[in-house]
Amino acid sequence: MRYVLRRLPVLVITLWAAVTLNFLLPRLMPGTPAGAAVAKLAGQGSVSASQRRAIEVMLGVPHGSLASQYWQYLKAIAGGNFGISYTYFPEPVSKVIGAALPWTLALVGTVTVMAFVIGTLLGVLAAWKRGSIFDTAASVGCTFMAAFPYFWTALVLLYVFGFVAGWFPIRGGYSASVSPGWDWSFFVSALGHSVLPAFTILVSGLGGWVLGMRNNMMGVLGEDYIVFAEANGLSPRTVALRYAARNALLPGVTAFGMALGLVVGGSLLTEVVFGYPGIGYLLYNAVVNEDYPLMQALFLVITVSVLMANFVVDLIYGLLDPRVRR
Amino acid sequence: MDTRPPSQSEHAPLLTASGLEVLYEPAGGPPVHAVRGVDISIGQGQLVGLVGESGCGKSTLGYALARLLRPPARIAAGTVVFDSTDITNLDRKSLRGIRHNGLAVVLQSGMNALNPVRRVRGHFHDVLGAQQRLHAAEVDNTAETLLSQVELAPSVLDRYPHELSGGMRQRVAIALALALKPRLVVFDEPTTALDVIVQRAIMDTIARLQAEVGFTALIISHDLGLVLGATDQVWVMYAGRIVERRDSPALATGPLHPYSAALLACQGDPTAEKVELGGIPGSPPDLSKPPEGCAFAPRCWLSGPPCKEEPHEKLVGTGSVTCHMAPTKLEVPKLIRRVDGPSEPIPDSGHGAKVPTTASAAVAKGRGRHRDATTAEPLALIDVTKDFKTKRAAPSEGVQAQGLVQAVAGVSLRLEAGQAMGLVGGSGSGKTTLGRMIVGLERPSSGSITLGNLRVDKLRTRDLPRYWRRVQMVFQDPYAGLNPLHSVGYTVGRAIRNHQGLKGDDYRRELLRLFDTVGLAPPEHYAAKLPHQLSGGQRQRVVIARALAAKPQVLVADEPVSMLDVSLRAEILHLLGELRKNTGASLLYITHDLLSARLVTDQLVVLRQGHIVESGPTSSVLRSPSHPYTVELIAAIPTVQQSQTVPAGAITERPGEPV
Ligand SMILES: Nc1ncnc2c1ncn2[C@@H]1O[C@H](COP(=O)(O)OP(=O)(O)O)[C@@H](O)[C@H]1O
Ligand code: SF4
Ligand SMILES: [Mg+2]
Repeated sequence: MRYVLRRLPVLVITLWAAVTLNFLLPRLMPGTPAGAAVAKLAGQGSVSASQRRAIEVMLGVPHGSLASQYWQYLKAIAGGNFGISYTYFPEPVSKVIGAALPWTLALVGTVTVMAFVIGTLLGVLAAWKRGSIFDTAASVGCTFMAAFPYFWTALVLLYVFGFVAGWFPIRGGYSASVSPGWDWSFFVSALGHSVLPAFTILVSGLGGWVLGMRNNMMGVLGEDYIVFAEANGLSPRTVALRYAARNALLPGVTAFGMALGLVVGGSLLTEVVFGYPGIGYLLYNAVVNEDYPLMQALFLVITVSVLMANFVVDLIYGLLDPRVRR
Repeated sequence: MDTRPPSQSEHAPLLTASGLEVLYEPAGGPPVHAVRGVDISIGQGQLVGLVGESGCGKSTLGYALARLLRPPARIAAGTVVFDSTDITNLDRKSLRGIRHNGLAVVLQSGMNALNPVRRVRGHFHDVLGAQQRLHAAEVDNTAETLLSQVELAPSVLDRYPHELSGGMRQRVAIALALALKPRLVVFDEPTTALDVIVQRAIMDTIARLQAEVGFTALIISHDLGLVLGATDQVWVMYAGRIVERRDSPALATGPLHPYSAALLACQGDPTAEKVELGGIPGSPPDLSKPPEGCAFAPRCWLSGPPCKEEPHEKLVGTGSVTCHMAPTKLEVPKLIRRVDGPSEPIPDSGHGAKVPTTASAAVAKGRGRHRDATTAEPLALIDVTKDFKTKRAAPSEGVQAQGLVQAVAGVSLRLEAGQAMGLVGGSGSGKTTLGRMIVGLERPSSGSITLGNLRVDKLRTRDLPRYWRRVQMVFQDPYAGLNPLHSVGYTVGRAIRNHQGLKGDDYRRELLRLFDTVGLAPPEHYAAKLPHQLSGGQRQRVVIARALAAKPQVLVADEPVSMLDVSLRAEILHLLGELRKNTGASLLYITHDLLSARLVTDQLVVLRQGHIVESGPTSSVLRSPSHPYTVELIAAIPTVQQSQTVPAGAITERPGEPV
């Protein structure tokens, strides 16, 4: 499809720019992050020559031309070799991130999609029944929810359902009594642990989608093609869904792309509050411990995920709107 | 539920409305009384036109009759009966039944009437599928038949709306309406915003379909000329009321209401030996404060003491008129006239004095004082071309051009100092591109443009502001051209400062003089207004004042009247003509409207797809065209034979009503 081909170069170029920026930043920083990292590592235990070299490739070799450093860096990234983390010594960075990523994707990813789908449907309904009790309730409720500070929601939920009622665990991704694996007891434990953080993200995100979709719908409902569809005797359902909602969805899809891009990097607060073993929590730990190798790799993962999410949503948009396609 | 008797008299009413009142009740605004007591009926098989300036309530009435009004609008009083069913308060579900039984609507210009993310085929599936269960193949068959009725190929079924031209979209909308097997079709401005030739073709299609399919139609338009040629009967609407209801030929030859007569005087035949045009100064009243007495009185040259009372409907033959003075001999003051040979302005006397043609008065005052463009120079174009790269397939009737589009293809012309030249052609003929190249907004791909010895096509961007002191452009859309956040005085003032560098008292004096020149008097009053507080005609005057602030040698006017009501056309054209005479500036007048070109230009250039197909003195090009395209353009104009004599129709008071 030509539409995809036309967008591909932009993706490649932005990806390259992100990777290169990630290469340059530690080298431009005052001091020598590589040296600091090596020194810190030495404090943790013995550092092998190959470990030292991996860190220097990523963060900057004291000697050697920039070009050859860049080449080494690219090779390391292609091999998934981001050096070694000293927060989680002696685990390699790639393994640490690999362990955290599924947690974040499963929790935040699912909830983001859920918030978008549920919020959009509620928005359609509110706009279609404009002026009804449902519409008023939804609008007021969502404005309230969207205005409520995010960490407040988290703390209130934690207190009420975690401490007082004791229905849900307070911290972590699963209980200590089970070990991660593809079995039922682990699944149940993980699900139980995800309820409160999921609910927090849902509550804080849902209102925006409802209000946004409602507004888009109201705009579209004033369009000529809605009046014309009605004049042609189409059923209210067809007019509401196929004519109004279908068009009102388009701006929402772009916003959804941004929300998806933030799934990996944007969940810091939730994960920290709930001690959830995902990327956000990892990033927090990396920053607190000045774990440069981990930070650098995380930034790369987050940027790439934003770019990829936007690319995918761009493609979806092309499917939904024939006017941008060719 | 079909209660039609087996044999029907041809003109038994299919739709009647009595005492119909419509209110808009917007949140946080005063209610607008858009339809104020309308009694009408449409007979089986009739073609009725509904005309009036914009804002008179035509669309609102059309929507009320089709039960398409939505909040904040509501039918406040009266009844609508369609086919012996009272539909005034019918619920949504029963209304759908009525629509499938044949009450169809085609919306204003149809541009946005189609769902942008749905193919034409999908639209047909939705409409046909809503009536009865059909197999996909049956739907496709029916859709193809319907499309062929509106002269479109079956391939259109696979197109998205944005891949179709405006005219094609309107045809698709008509075909969709026909899918309802309608007995009554309400057309709201079916051809507004379409090219003249396309406009003519669509009207012909409607007329042919009406004869073939036999539906009854209400055609709403602001263009009386268009409606008169296409209908049996016309209703003239003003300020929410029907002020005259007559058979079309009778209205064409003898309007009884001053408003109808004035609307008629805004029409003319550009190919006649002598062309005169009237206008209606002022604008329709604000319907949130409906006026006392006759609503037309402030703009009526016949108004007298009785007009303080609301006039009553008087029956005339098969129609009616609502005016105290009817019948009187109606002679409408003309604002602008053109006879073969040198142009002939209308002296400011007689009727002209009674109608507030502030513009001409102001210009007359300023005459001789300001002959600004003393060193006028000729503008010459030699072999100018302009290519555009298209990102997307260019939608035009039938063909899809790709890659390079040649908007202007080797045009050479010469506009002498002080001359007025018209540039006419259909849409896509390259008129606007040519205008934009002349003012330096676009650079030719090849060829040269010179003003005196200045190579316009070679100007650097930073030299453009200086060039714009000599050449100014007036754009088509008086709404888009003004910053909504600034008072119009500020807008014009900035142009004065930029171009003339005036300050203090001189600046102030110049500002007031310009407002006066374009007929916005008293200037102090208008200068303080924001654009949305002015009517369309007033806004266009502001735009012209801003152009004049540069004291240009050349004024390029791109469709300055096409977005305005016809009632304002004469005023603005008159203004342009006077300004040109008094400042000595030359005028390049770009339009698709041959009538206005005839009235303000001496030379005419006809463009088609970027080429000049014909040029010469305006009256000879229009009166004896030699190129088939010019002939086609002229043929597309709806013609009305007018004569300003009142017919000897008996006028009676409506029985049972006080006089
Ligand atoms: N949605 C609306 N809210 C308030 N007033 C409106 C609305 N739509 C139209 N009007 C007013 O109703 C009057 C009639 O408008 P309309 O029926 O569109 O006239 P026309 O079709 O003759 O141009 C105008 O005064 C206009 O300002
Ligand atoms: S009633 Fe009077 S003001 Fe109204 S149109 Fe007739 S003459 Fe003019
Ligand atoms: Mg209208």
